[in-house]
Amino acid sequence: MEEIVYDVFARKNRGEPLHHVGYLDALDDELARVYAWKTYDEENWFEMCVVRRSHIIPVNLAEGPFAGGRRASSAREAREIPAGQPYGGES
Amino acid sequence: MTDLPTTAGELDPELRSALRRHILTLADSKRVLGIRYSDWLLGSPSIETGIAASSMAQDEWGHARLLYAMLKDLGEDPVHVEQERAVELWASVDALDEPVPDWGALVGIMVAVDGALSVALEGFAGGRYDPARSRVPKMLAEEEFHRDLGLAWFRRLGSGSAEAAAHLSRAVTGLLPRTLAWLAPEDRPYTLLAEAGIVPAGTDLLARYRERWGAALEGAGVDVHGTHPERSAWDEDRSRGPGHPGLEAVERARGDRNRALFVE
Repeated sequence: MEEIVYDVFARKNRGEPLHHVGYLDALDDELARVYAWKTYDEENWFEMCVVRRSHIIPVNLAEGPFAGGRRASSAREAREIPAGQPYGGES
Repeated sequence: MTDLPTTAGELDPELRSALRRHILTLADSKRVLGIRYSDWLLGSPSIETGIAASSMAQDEWGHARLLYAMLKDLGEDPVHVEQERAVELWASVDALDEPVPDWGALVGIMVAVDGALSVALEGFAGGRYDPARSRVPKMLAEEEFHRDLGLAWFRRLGSGSAEAAAHLSRAVTGLLPRTLAWLAPEDRPYTLLAEAGIVPAGTDLLARYRERWGAALEGAGVDVHGTHPERSAWDEDRSRGPGHPGLEAVERARGDRNRALFVE
């Protein structure tokens, strides 16, 4: 059984933006929901969501944790991410 | 019979005794289930699963504490009940008597036993006893995540290898008859509670249980509709079958070792 990396986003109050609060490994979406709620329960969250890291499309960084899924999903796609930082940001 | 809420002071002695037994078996089951979950903080399939087991253990202990506290309304000292009772008097559901041997068996307990506890608590919360109506719903809300975790793992193991599915099926099939008997006692104390509107009839609880968990259990090859409660050697004082949880578990449940560390 292969585990999937999920990123966890949450907000404390309605109207606040969602914040990235952490990540977890789970076998599927259903388990990811439960693990997220139990792992990141330090606040009384208004809303919490999980997203498969591999579904995150990097915009301006070709390297880093959120580019990993993209690279893993397809070497060809990874090559299409332009080198450098085309949209600005730290190098 | 009226549908109006009732309190302990309004009950006759026999009904109070039946209510005490009902609260005690719920509380003891929660406390021992917490012990069984806590055994899997380490050694479960992943860190996340261990955290979930830890959280569920805390939930169960919190629920047990609230239930024990309800005994105060019946004139009983919860501290004595929690910390000083002999192991033979523990009234937890039979399926929790022994340590859980593997993760598959724990998943079976999450669904079949924790699920039975939830059905029993729902019935209690929906009855006439006022403290249950006010205190139990929060427990049930917390139990929703136990249900989700249990079902997610249950489906995964049930649809996995033939060996995993067979193991899960065997584990649940073995514990189900006594668990059904615990959920729906067919004895005078429970009948009195049901007639007083404090709990649903046992047949109603069994129907709810089978409706709630039947599909999941049968998906793993467990014949929940064809399984009947096993009531042989029924212990009416404790509302369960013969036997009791192991001494080691009860020592932990009572907190014997914790108190041994106290410095006066």
